[in-house]
Amino acid sequence: MKPSLLETRALTLAAAGITLVGSLDWGAAVGERWCVIGRNAAGKSTLLRALAGIGEPGLQPAGEVRWLGRPTADWPAADAASVRAFLPQHASDRFPITVQRLLEISRVRPQHEARALLAALDALALADRNVLELSGGERQRVALAQCAVQGAPLLLLDEPVAFQDPAHQLQVAQWLTTLHQHAVVMSAHDVNWIARAATHVLALLPDGACEQGSVGEMLDADRLQRVYGCAWRAIDGDGGRYWVAQ
Amino acid sequence: MPLTGIRLTWFAIALVATTLTILVLSLLIGSAGVDYEMIRSLRAPRVAAAAGVGALLALSGLAMQALLRNPLADPYVLGTSGGAAVGALLALMFGVAMAFGAAAGALAAGALLVLLARRALAASDDASPRLILTGAMLAAVFGALATLLLTLTPEQRLRGAIFWLVGDLSGADHAGASLAAALVFSLVLMVRHRAIDRLLLGSEAAHLLGESVRRLRLELLVGASLAAGLAVASAGAIGFVGLVVPHALRLAGVQRTRDLAWLTPFGGAALLMAADLLSRSVASPIELPVGAVMALVGAPVFVVFLARGTR
Repeated sequence: MKPSLLETRALTLAAAGITLVGSLDWGAAVGERWCVIGRNAAGKSTLLRALAGIGEPGLQPAGEVRWLGRPTADWPAADAASVRAFLPQHASDRFPITVQRLLEISRVRPQHEARALLAALDALALADRNVLELSGGERQRVALAQCAVQGAPLLLLDEPVAFQDPAHQLQVAQWLTTLHQHAVVMSAHDVNWIARAATHVLALLPDGACEQGSVGEMLDADRLQRVYGCAWRAIDGDGGRYWVAQ
Repeated sequence: MPLTGIRLTWFAIALVATTLTILVLSLLIGSAGVDYEMIRSLRAPRVAAAAGVGALLALSGLAMQALLRNPLADPYVLGTSGGAAVGALLALMFGVAMAFGAAAGALAAGALLVLLARRALAASDDASPRLILTGAMLAAVFGALATLLLTLTPEQRLRGAIFWLVGDLSGADHAGASLAAALVFSLVLMVRHRAIDRLLLGSEAAHLLGESVRRLRLELLVGASLAAGLAVASAGAIGFVGLVVPHALRLAGVQRTRDLAWLTPFGGAALLMAADLLSRSVASPIELPVGAVMALVGAPVFVVFLARGTR
């Protein structure tokens, strides 16, 4: 059997004495798009970073994260770059560089054409712009293209639509559904966007427990209430079911 | 707009031509006029030293900016040149080779800065005002140490305070070594251009792209420190060349390390030769210390960059 692209074995993440993720056994395969949900400070970013193989100060991880069956710590940096790509919440640009050049130096394994990616993310017009001059939303779509152009099959995206307007949130969701050769793990807060963009949900509960399943079975009023601590109502409309926090 | 292709070629030709023009003017202009013997024995070594030191300082600045991911980094502002001056003074007092002392002092100062800034560097972000202030305090400490050393040992063989604190090209030597070192350093930066471009995106981003960030940073630290140390051994602690030159090139649209790595030494050589020409012709026959002239140009530039919010 082929080892799955990403899996965790008894992964436990604790920071400042609080268990964020308790003994998580889980995995993501090619073609799946997982969305991690949880309250603020529930550990979504921490988990995504751990899945990307990046440490954090003050974090004591236990258990294992494996890519293709091999623990992340055993991967040389150069090989890891062709397996996983990570989108941080914020880009921290300091030096001028054009979008086109940014994508050029971010390419590790030639797989996607940079201009096609930019076009799919409505960022083609930004190709010759300096990254220092982009708006938050534009920079984030460029960062998504940058992540994909790296050529890694595992995409770890920390809040990929945090700065997008409604039209661009839709566009990013549509783009994500075209990534058949990738496994995507992302975080987001908009439940209706998640229903559209994700195939599976991993919920982080306040006590460090985790629940996982397909998006259809995970999005229900009881569970959402346990995750977020507020009541939810489902509204069935012509395009499907919509969730409203009460 | 970034400079690429044919426009970059024209820019490079213009820069090299300017450098050569300044070189010729520097050789021809002087208090004794155009006298072949004078040019050969006195002016040429000094102009060559100015070119070599300028190139080294500019490259040192370029490397430190990549190392610290801060466009305001400069070996003088961050205390590396000061460390080199203290190292050189100690070496002279204890009868060790001065260049060795300068290199050791620069390495120590550079390592100390990276150590103090390690948390900011590790967290791939943004504590850069703190970083610059830390460097400025290091520079102040080394300036004070150099002053104390000079006061405690009023010996003839130590050069004056002006040389060690602001830099001076009169009687500068090691021109050949400076030029050769600048050439080597420039080539090293060109070889590592891709990794450096990735490091400029952030240490975490570079790591995620598969770069060995620690090794690259160590290389940049050693290169930048040795370049600053050699420059100080030759012409004292001249400041701001490393800040002004890469910044000006970036403003002109040169963004890639591959291009910056070889244009920067030309820019540095041109700038310091021009500053030297100015410092010895403005109040001729009195020679002004070139470091003071550079600081008069460089410090306002630094303030402008800071005010424009380069962060």
